[in-house]
Amino acid sequence: MFVVLRVLPGDPAKMLLPEGAPQSAVDELNRHLGLREPLHVQYAIFIRSVFRGDFGQSFQYRAPALRVVTERLAATAQLALAAMFLTGAVGVSLGIVAAVRRGTRYDVASTLFAVLGQSLPNFWLGIMLILLFGVALRWLPTSGFESWRHLILPAVTLAAFPTALVARLTRSSMLEILGRDYIRTGRAKGLAERAVVLRHALRNAAVPVLTVLGLQVGTLLGGAVITESVFAWPGMGKLVVDAIFFRDFPVVQTVLIFSATIFVLINLLVDLLYTVIDPRIRYS
Amino acid sequence: MRRRSAASHSVGRRRFLTLSAAGLVAAGLPRAARAQGKRSGELVAGLSERMLTLDPANHYSISSTSVHRHMFDPLVDVTNDSKFVPALAESWRAVNNTTWRFTLRKGVTFHDGTPFNADSALFTLRRVKDNTKLIKSFVYQDIESVEKDGDYSVVVTSNRPFGSLPAHLTMLGMLPPHAAKNEEAFFQKPIGTGPFRFTSWTHGDHIVLAANPTYWKPGVPRVEKVTFRFIPELSTRAAGLRAGEIHVVDRVTPDLVETLKSSRGVKVFDVPAVEAQRWIFQLAKEPVKDQRLRQAISLAIDRNVIIKDLLLGYGRPVDSPVPPGLIGHTSLPAKPYDPERARQILKQAGYTNVSIDFVLMKDLYPKQLEITQAVAAMLGEVGIKVNIKNLEIATAREHRSAGTYDMFFSGWAHMPHDPDWYFGQWFTRAGSEKLTRYNNPRVEQLIAEGRVPDPKVRQAKYEELERILWDEEPEIWPYYSVAIYGVSDRVRNFEPRRDYYVLLSDVAIV
Amino acid sequence: MTDLFVTDRSLEAGPPTSHRRPLNAPAVIGGLLLALTVLASVLAPVLSPTDPVKPQFSRRLAPPWGLGGTPAHVLGTDNLGRDILARLLHGGRISLALASVSVLIAAAVGIVVGLVAGSGGERVDALFMRLADVQLALPVIMLAIAIVAVVGTSPAALVGVLALSGWVLYARTVRANVLTIRRLEYVEAAYTLGASDLRIVARHILPNTLAPILVIGSSQFATMVLLESGLSFLGMGIQAPQPSWGLMLAEGRDYLSNAWWLATAPGMTISLVVLGANLLGDGLRDLLDPRLG
Repeated sequence: MFVVLRVLPGDPAKMLLPEGAPQSAVDELNRHLGLREPLHVQYAIFIRSVFRGDFGQSFQYRAPALRVVTERLAATAQLALAAMFLTGAVGVSLGIVAAVRRGTRYDVASTLFAVLGQSLPNFWLGIMLILLFGVALRWLPTSGFESWRHLILPAVTLAAFPTALVARLTRSSMLEILGRDYIRTGRAKGLAERAVVLRHALRNAAVPVLTVLGLQVGTLLGGAVITESVFAWPGMGKLVVDAIFFRDFPVVQTVLIFSATIFVLINLLVDLLYTVIDPRIRYS
Repeated sequence: MRRRSAASHSVGRRRFLTLSAAGLVAAGLPRAARAQGKRSGELVAGLSERMLTLDPANHYSISSTSVHRHMFDPLVDVTNDSKFVPALAESWRAVNNTTWRFTLRKGVTFHDGTPFNADSALFTLRRVKDNTKLIKSFVYQDIESVEKDGDYSVVVTSNRPFGSLPAHLTMLGMLPPHAAKNEEAFFQKPIGTGPFRFTSWTHGDHIVLAANPTYWKPGVPRVEKVTFRFIPELSTRAAGLRAGEIHVVDRVTPDLVETLKSSRGVKVFDVPAVEAQRWIFQLAKEPVKDQRLRQAISLAIDRNVIIKDLLLGYGRPVDSPVPPGLIGHTSLPAKPYDPERARQILKQAGYTNVSIDFVLMKDLYPKQLEITQAVAAMLGEVGIKVNIKNLEIATAREHRSAGTYDMFFSGWAHMPHDPDWYFGQWFTRAGSEKLTRYNNPRVEQLIAEGRVPDPKVRQAKYEELERILWDEEPEIWPYYSVAIYGVSDRVRNFEPRRDYYVLLSDVAIV
Repeated sequence: MTDLFVTDRSLEAGPPTSHRRPLNAPAVIGGLLLALTVLASVLAPVLSPTDPVKPQFSRRLAPPWGLGGTPAHVLGTDNLGRDILARLLHGGRISLALASVSVLIAAAVGIVVGLVAGSGGERVDALFMRLADVQLALPVIMLAIAIVAVVGTSPAALVGVLALSGWVLYARTVRANVLTIRRLEYVEAAYTLGASDLRIVARHILPNTLAPILVIGSSQFATMVLLESGLSFLGMGIQAPQPSWGLMLAEGRDYLSNAWWLATAPGMTISLVVLGANLLGDGLRDLLDPRLG
């Protein structure tokens, strides 16, 4: 990762300086940024500092990279959690309804919703929501990071795609399970429909849904770039993309260390949940 | 040699009225409004670019300069018609070609009560010169010494003529000397002499400033509080304005003007900017190093269509490499559109199947991709094939450094309202080494001679060198940009700046 | 509850073979939709009313027919006065090809990795899954810039980046399914009976993971189209003035509030393709799933 960043074409000092800065200024600034050392020396310095808890100084912000990143954590976490909640709640319910009422207009409506959710670009949805709820109706603020009301539109925008995906996955997994013999047996034994659907079928349909949900958490944390820019939301996704474009290596490195850790943790957690939901999954 | 007084401000403004109809609306309001002089209300501005630092010496961002101007005063201010007027310096003059003397304003204090005097100016100027980590440092490297002469006078000497120093100083906010103790802590919660005091900054989102009740300029500021929100996405910025959450937005594009004009409570201001778009050629590369080919390209481009149809009139025909209002501007004959002549030239020079790479820095200039596609079609008409390469900025700049381009979509906003930087960067051998590879000793000499403080000498030198450039066409200047602002109709006394600044000290809200 | 599951499940003797049901109506509609889109794109040069690349400044931003426009430009014109229908048709050739190839590659890689990780023992599993985590943590844009820097720009590089961004979803889903299925008694029974790994994978595991794969695949199509336009600035995507659906969306972005049709036309087209893919995917799943009657 360290090397990948440094082989990128482009020059950090040139990105920081204005268009018309002489080459001498570029060289001088790169020296200050520690970028004129040989690569292995830079790497040694980086590793040593990271173990001391020092992630370097952001080139762009001229502040500790760790602080620059952690300042965005609150905004990122809020948005990701809200979107996650929407995805889980709406996606799974829609999927269940569509599966149980297969072939009815509920199913059709849910399919249409899912198609829109999967294919509407985030910027289109975001701007349309702003124009409708912010400008025309004035029910919600158009952008910014302040109260829970500012959170609603970006969370809905961000959740659209994963919700659609989860709804369809739930539907298809549920259909598969509902068709199985043991469910028929359960019904025949006189179990209440609710219990059949929620306790038996849903539980068995949960594994693929959970997998995708787990992966979406990661996407929601770091991949909300477009939603963040449309709503001027000060999150980590936009931060890291800008940092990549500006060749702000310390910030990119810090975000990557953070997000890799979060990914590993979440996916371990998902693996653990598999065994809880389905005791047959063991790791030998 | 050059002395400015506060009086030139209003004179300048009146002259400026002739430049722009929108300026009329903006400037017509102030006198009546100023008479009331009561401070009330709160302004919210939406800026296009995120502020990265509160250190005025450590960036060249236009949005950040706007924000910083409210907290920090520079020594020199610049009016909308590019006249330099007193801020913290009451007057200044060139003692000789390499010495400037600034007389400072008395009775000004920083927000914490520290008096402003020569020590502050000394500290600020020496810091930007000596601390080469600072982004603005390279501009001040010609300075040899900064000395004080009494408590309210500062003498700056340079190792070669530095006529553009006052212009550069318009972008450098003055700091109290005690900032040196712990710069990092200081710039977390900075202190200036400006009309507003720093309140809080939510990184990546907004900054809040509160009126400085003891500001040295009477009647300023006019509101209690100003919030700058950073909203890079134009649609979102405009939506905030239309929803009444934001009172001023910058960087509106021509296509959005009608939408804003038809929104209730929103007005649109526009003014010709101090910015020329430029399509630069790689002058060491075949085939565009050939002046005949460049001339053919220039003749094949219908600038009128670009301005009228694509920019909807929000662009101005170019009559000089330097926009009107700046020193050195002179009116040269317009570049004609003559595809027939272009074809002839190509034929005479033996060019068939010419194919050129036109590199763009992604999303940097409004409507650049659209305009480039139009140009590609126009050049296609005369038989020149254009490969558009819309690249990520850092990669595009690498292409420019490496010289692997034929044309490059660029622009130049004359932020210090002085063309010396532009000429020195793009038309000297050292400056253009990693850019266009321009090399003309005569032009280089004229640029050096134009660095003196005397405006008459500068005007003469610049006129001569512009005529050379006009013939050589080392770049194409397709249009001067127009700065467009969206403003709430509750806002009074807003002035649309030609340098894209959003300055709200003199602005009121009802 | 799980007892119920296992007992009942053990009654099944693996996938029955004699099922052949006709495709359901939605699947036929879905298939037709897709076939029509592909056909229209292939025939773009014939069907296009005008040149998709050449600007016509005088008829800039004309609205669609019936909404203030003329029948000469049914879907209106774009910011350079080019006919949007013509651009959609031509753009489809590139977008459909790129998106479907990269979805197929991502799915193939993901399925193989998922199968290997799920059935290959704990070490292999851990290795592949942590690899997936790291890859997910790296922003696609950074990978793309790096790949372009190393191998240069080409359609193949673009497909590579797109596929790289998509395989993990399949890998993890397949793996999760394998973990569930391989413990089923009939699979264990097959093992004891000496069936080869390959046979077990092909006969028992793959059919059971098909449903989520089809769902993910059909929904990833739109993501790929959008990503392709997102990557165009690396010089590896489609460069203007050549049309692609993603690029058209991106160009329409600045016009949402005053000329909505620029972004809406390609957006609707992508929706139609996704709808077709969803319907067909569901239909195929029903067809292949042995248990649904």
